[in-house]
Amino acid sequence: MALGFLSTFAATSAATLVLVGNAPTTGALSTQQDDGPRTSWTVTADAIYTATGTVIENGFVRVSDGEITAVGRGKIKGDFHVAAITPGLVEASSGVTIGPESVEQDSESTPHISVEEGLDLFSTRWARELSGGVTTTMVSPLDRNVLGGLPVVLKTGGGEPTMDDRVLRTGVGVRACMGSEPSSGNSPVFGRAFGIFNRRPTTRMGVEWVFRRTFYDALRARKDADFTFEGVETVYQVLDGELPLIVRASPRLDIITALGLKQEFSIPNVVIDGAAEVLPEEEAIVASGVSLILAPLTFDGNTGADRAYMAWNTPARMAERGVTFALSGGSSRNDDLGLALQPGHAMRGGLAADAALAAVTIVPARMLGVDDRVGSIEQGKHADLVFWSGAPFQYTSSITGVMVSGELAVDPRHGEEL
Amino acid sequence: MFSLEPTGRLKAAFLGTALATAAIGPFTSTALAQANDALVIEAGRIVIDSETEIEDGVLVIEGGRIAKVGKRSEVEVPWDAQVLGGPEFTAFPGFVEAYSARGMDRANESIDVAPFLDVQDSIDPINVYFQDCLRWGITSINVQQGADCVIGGRGRLVKPVGITIDQMTVRPHFGLVLSADPKRGKSRATQAQALRESFSELHRYLEDLVGSAREDADLARREAKAQGRELEGEDAEGRAFKSAATWSVDGLELVPRGAIDEKQAPLLDLVEGRTPAFIHCGGPHDVHIAIDVARENGFLERTTLVLQPACWKAADVIVEAGVDVVHTGSLIHRETDPVTGDETETFVLDVYRDKGISFSLSSQNSSTTSLWYQAARAIGHGLTRAQAIDSVTIAPARALGLEAHVGSLQTGRLGNVVLFSGDPLATTTWVEHVIVEGEHVYDRSKDPRNRILIEGEDPFDNLRTDG
Repeated sequence: MALGFLSTFAATSAATLVLVGNAPTTGALSTQQDDGPRTSWTVTADAIYTATGTVIENGFVRVSDGEITAVGRGKIKGDFHVAAITPGLVEASSGVTIGPESVEQDSESTPHISVEEGLDLFSTRWARELSGGVTTTMVSPLDRNVLGGLPVVLKTGGGEPTMDDRVLRTGVGVRACMGSEPSSGNSPVFGRAFGIFNRRPTTRMGVEWVFRRTFYDALRARKDADFTFEGVETVYQVLDGELPLIVRASPRLDIITALGLKQEFSIPNVVIDGAAEVLPEEEAIVASGVSLILAPLTFDGNTGADRAYMAWNTPARMAERGVTFALSGGSSRNDDLGLALQPGHAMRGGLAADAALAAVTIVPARMLGVDDRVGSIEQGKHADLVFWSGAPFQYTSSITGVMVSGELAVDPRHGEEL
Repeated sequence: MFSLEPTGRLKAAFLGTALATAAIGPFTSTALAQANDALVIEAGRIVIDSETEIEDGVLVIEGGRIAKVGKRSEVEVPWDAQVLGGPEFTAFPGFVEAYSARGMDRANESIDVAPFLDVQDSIDPINVYFQDCLRWGITSINVQQGADCVIGGRGRLVKPVGITIDQMTVRPHFGLVLSADPKRGKSRATQAQALRESFSELHRYLEDLVGSAREDADLARREAKAQGRELEGEDAEGRAFKSAATWSVDGLELVPRGAIDEKQAPLLDLVEGRTPAFIHCGGPHDVHIAIDVARENGFLERTTLVLQPACWKAADVIVEAGVDVVHTGSLIHRETDPVTGDETETFVLDVYRDKGISFSLSSQNSSTTSLWYQAARAIGHGLTRAQAIDSVTIAPARALGLEAHVGSLQTGRLGNVVLFSGDPLATTTWVEHVIVEGEHVYDRSKDPRNRILIEGEDPFDNLRTDG
C-alpha cells in the first residue's frame, strides 16, 4: 500500500533519493540514557516521507538525544520497524484554544498581550493533540477580541512541561479576527446596562472599525509624540512587516475585509487563518500575496466557521495558483476532522500527495518561523515523527505511534519488543 | 414504464426553483424505457463480495436483478442492451444502511409509545439525505424512527430513488424501533418500566379482547360495522397466539385479527415474530434491558441492537443473546478517568469482531452519509479489508433478512451496483455511477451539488439574473 502511495509523489524515483547521513556500519542499537525517558532510537520503515521533497524507501531514521542525527536508505537493524514515517504534524491554526481566559477582554484591542502567560502546560489536551500526530501547534488568543494579542508556537510534548522545554517561538505574529466572533454575545446598550458584554463592537462593521481605529491611532502616534496607547509598538511591528498579521477570516465577506485592511494600511505580511470561502476571491488572494491557513475540510463543505463553505478542491486550486497555504485540523474531539486526516481530504479534492504532506508539516513550520527545528525529517531537526500503519493520509491507514523530541509519546510497538 | 425525466410542463416547474432541479436532475439520467430493458455493466474489477473479485468482468442486469456475472470473455451479453462502465471502473455492491433515522420530516415523536405511526408519513423523498445516499453509493436504507422514544412507529425499507414514497419503497411496514436509552425527560428506570409496561398492556388488552369475544362472539364484527368498515379476508379470521414470549394468551383465535387496535397490532406483530425489532442502546447498562424485554416478549430472534460506542462493554451480554448489532457514532470510544484525567481509547469493532458478534456500520456519525468512508477508517483502525467490506454490505443485509436480495453482486441479487473510479476504499476514489435495480440513477458528472462541493463551482450561475 505504501508503494502505491509513493507513485503519486512528485520526487520518488530511486535515482533522485537523497541520502542524508550514512547507514550505521554496525547493527548496534541506540544506547539507553541513564535517566528520564529514552530519547535515542533507530527506527526503520518501508517508506520515510521527509517533507523535503523526497521519499526514502526501506530507510531508517537515527535519533540521538531528541534530535535527528541521520536519515538514509538501507536495511539495517533498528529498535523497531514501521510501515511509514512522516514528520510530526504542525498545526498552524489555533488547534488548541485555552478557553476564555486566553484573551484579555478588558479591551477589544489588545495586540500586545501574549497568550504565553495563560498557557496550562499540564492540561491533558496536549496528549490528545499528540496522539493525533500533532507535535507542534500554535496557540492563539481566543477570537473574542478584534486584535487579540500574541500567539505562541509550542511543542505538544517532550521534555518537561515547562516554557523552556516546550515553547518554540513567541513573536510569531499578531492575532486578529474579522467576522462575527469578536462581536458575538456583546449586547447593545439597550440590553443589559452593565457587564463585560456591553463592550463594543456588536456588529461586523464594528469589528472592522475597531481594527481601523487601532491602526489609524498607531499611524497618528508615529507622527504625534504626545499621542500613544498601550500596544502601539506591536502595531508598528505589524505595519513594518516585522510581525505577520494572522487574521481570522472565513466567509467571503470577511476575506474581502481582511484583504481590504491589508491594502489600506499597507500591511506587508498577512496570513489569513480559517480561510474557507477562498475560491470566489481567488484572484484577489493571488494578487495580494497573503498566505492561507485553510479551514478544516468537512464532508458536506460546511466548515462551521461563520457558516463559511469550503469546496474540496480548494487546497488543490491554491496549489495550482501558487498560493502558500497550510491545512488545519478541526476539533481534536472529532477524529474525522483532525489534522491527520486533512491531507487525505485535500487529496480527495485533487491535491498532490507531496503538497498535502507539506501543507501539514514544512509549510506551516515555515509560516510560524520554526522550520529550522521542526517540519521535516532532516539531520539536526527535532526528532518529531509520526508512525503510520500504511501509506500516510490514506483513510485505510492510521497513526500507530508518535515521537516527540525523541520521546515515544505513543508507542508503535504494541509490546512486540521492548 | 414511468419516467422521472423532467419533461414539458414538469420541467418548467423544476426550473422555477433551482434547488428542485438540483434535487432531481442528476438522478434520472437514463430512466427512459429501453428497447431491451437489460443493462450491461462493464468493469475492470467486479467486487462480488468480500471474498470474490473478477478482473475484467461484466455484469448483466435483467428485470432489475443480476442475471449473469463473470469474466467478459465468458459472459454472453444481449447485443441490444444498454452498456455502462468501462475498464477504469470498479463495480461494488450497493451499500446497505442497516438503520437510519434520517430523510424524515423529523425522526422522533413526542408520544412515548407510538407503534401506530408509520415512517411512510414522515419520509421526504426529496430530502437531501437520499441524494447523499446515492452520492456515496448507498442503495438500500432501513428507515426507522429515532432513538428518542420508548416505542417508535413502523419503519420502511427504501431505495434512494423516486419522488414518491411508493417509488422508493422496497418493503413497507418493516420493523419497529424501541429504545432502552431514556427518552428525553425520562430516567433509565422509567424508560425500562415504560418499555415493559407496553407489553404488559398488550397482554392485558388481548386477554380483555378474548374475554369479550367469549361473551359475545359477534362483537368485533358488529363494532367494525358500526365504525363503517367490514372485516374481510385475513382480518375477519382469528389466529391462535403463537410466540416465544414468556406469556401467552389463550383463545386469541376467537378474535378476528382486524379487531385488534392499531396501537396494539404492531406490538403483536413484534411478539409473534412477524416484524424485526431495532432497539437503541445508549450505553452498556441499556443492553441488558433491551435484551430482557426482547426475550420476555418473544422477539429476541428478530432483534438487532442499535448501539452507541460505549456499548462495547456489554459485548458478553450481546454474545450470549446472539443478536446482531449496528454500530453508530465514532469508531473509537474514548473514556477519561475522572480522577487522573487519563484517556483510554477503544476501537469498538475490534471487540465485536473478537467476540464473534455480527456488526454493521452506520452512516450516523461525523462523516454524515458515507459508509465507504466508515469501512475505510475501520481498516485503518485494524479490521481486515474483508471484515470492513462485510460490515457495510452483507452483514447489514443479513441483519435485515435481505441477504438473498442485496449486499453482494451474486447472480439473482437485485441489480444494485456502485461504479467507483478506482479502488472502492481508496482516499481519492469517487462514486461515479449508481445503478439501482438495473436503473442508472446517478452519474457524478451530472451532479450539480457535487460540482459545488468538489469543484467549488456554482452550477446555477447561468440560471441567475442580476438582482
